[in-house]
Amino acid sequence: MGLVLTLAACGGSDTPPQDTVVDSSQVAKGAEDARIVQLGGRNFSIPSPVQAAYAIRGAGLNYNAALLAGTDKAGAITERPRRSLFLGMLGADMAYVTVHGDGQKALATLQTIERVGSELELSNAFDRALIERFKSNLGSEDSLLRFSGVAFRAADQYLKDNDRMDVSTYVLAGGWLESLHLTVSDPAAADNAELMARIGEQRRSLDDLVALIGSLPADEQDLRLLEGLKALQVTFSGITSTYTYEAPVTEVAKRTTYINSKTGVTITSEQFARIATQVSELRSMILA
Amino acid sequence: MRRYILSTILLAASSLSLQAQGLCAPIADRCEQHITSEYIPDGQFYRALLQGEEVAEFGMTLFGGTTYRLAACSGDSDGLLLFAVYDRDRNLLFTNKEHSAAPYWDLAISNSLEVTIEAYLDPARSGSGCAVLLVGFKK
Repeated sequence: MGLVLTLAACGGSDTPPQDTVVDSSQVAKGAEDARIVQLGGRNFSIPSPVQAAYAIRGAGLNYNAALLAGTDKAGAITERPRRSLFLGMLGADMAYVTVHGDGQKALATLQTIERVGSELELSNAFDRALIERFKSNLGSEDSLLRFSGVAFRAADQYLKDNDRMDVSTYVLAGGWLESLHLTVSDPAAADNAELMARIGEQRRSLDDLVALIGSLPADEQDLRLLEGLKALQVTFSGITSTYTYEAPVTEVAKRTTYINSKTGVTITSEQFARIATQVSELRSMILA
Repeated sequence: MRRYILSTILLAASSLSLQAQGLCAPIADRCEQHITSEYIPDGQFYRALLQGEEVAEFGMTLFGGTTYRLAACSGDSDGLLLFAVYDRDRNLLFTNKEHSAAPYWDLAISNSLEVTIEAYLDPARSGSGCAVLLVGFKK
C-alpha cells in the first residue's frame, strides 16, 4: 500500500514508443506480478556515464574538450528540468575529462556541478568538502571517479527521500544523453565495432528513460525532451540484436559469477548518423 | 472534499517518504561498505519498502568487459535480503540464496546483456523492511 502511493509505473525493455500513464494499479500487472514492487520509484537502472567514458577511451577516440556542455552556461539555464538535465550532462562531462586525464577541466566541471547542485538544493552531495577531496586527488583517476559516483548517489538518495523524482530523472537523462553525444560526435566511432555495439546497447536505457519521464506528473514533464527521445526511440527500434544464453560459472571463493552469454548488435552507418543528428538536436535544445 | 482527499494522500505520501528515509538511510550507509574502493558507484540509489512476499525488481544493462558488484541489504544485519539475476529469457544467472544470502556478489560480464534483478526479504528472517540495492563496477 505504501509504495503504491508513491510509485510510478514504467514500461519494460521492449516497450514501443508510447505514452506511459501514471497509474498505481500498474504496479501489479498480472497475477504473477502482483508481488512485484519497484526500487526507488522506477524499475530500471541507467548506465553510469563513467562506463561510456571508458568505452570512448578504450576505442581510441581523440579527446575533444570542444564537445563538452560548457561550464559557462550554468548561469543561463534557470528552469528546473533543464537545470537538472544540465547537472547530469556535467556529470558525464566530468567522467569524460577525468578518464582522459584532464584534471583541471575536471575540477572546473566539479565547481560548476557544485554551483548547479546548490541551485537544485543538492548541497548535501556536492559541497566544498567534495571539491577539496577532489583537488587533493587530481592525479588519481579512480579516486576522482569514485568521489563523483558517491556524490551522485548521495544526490539521488536525497532526491528520492524528498520525493523529487523529476530532478532525479532529469539528472539521469542528462547524463545519458551527454554520454551518447560524446560517443557519437566523433565519426571515427562508426569504424569501431565495439563502440557501435555499445551505442546499440543503449536501446533499453532509452526505453526506460522515456518511460521514466512519461511517468512524471504532467506538469513536471519536459514535453519537448520527451518527444525528442521518442523520435530517437524510433531510430533505435531499427537496431537488431541477438542473444544466446550460456551457463554462467561461479567461483565461490572469489564471490564472483562469470556471465558468458553471447550478445550481438547490428547498427548501420545510417542509423549511427541519424542517432548523432537527433542527439545533437536534443542537446542543443537543452543548452539553448 | 476533493481538497481533503488530496491533502490526505499528500500527507500519507509524505509520511511514507519520511518512513522510508528513516528506515533506509542506515541500511544504505551499511550497504555502501560493500562497494569497496576498487569499485566505482553507479551514481544511483535503489530502495523499496517490502512486506511479506513482495519482490522488488529492476532491469539494467550490464556491459561486456566489466565486473559489477551488487550489494543488497535490509534490516540491521547482512543476509536478510535475497536477490536473483535473470537474463532476458528468464534464465537464472545468479542468486545469493545459494550462497548463504551473501550481501554482495560480483558479476564478471564477458558480453553485454540485459538482466532483471529481483530482491526479496528472507521470509525466515524478516517480515518487512527497507530493501536497498547498490551497484558498483570496475573494468
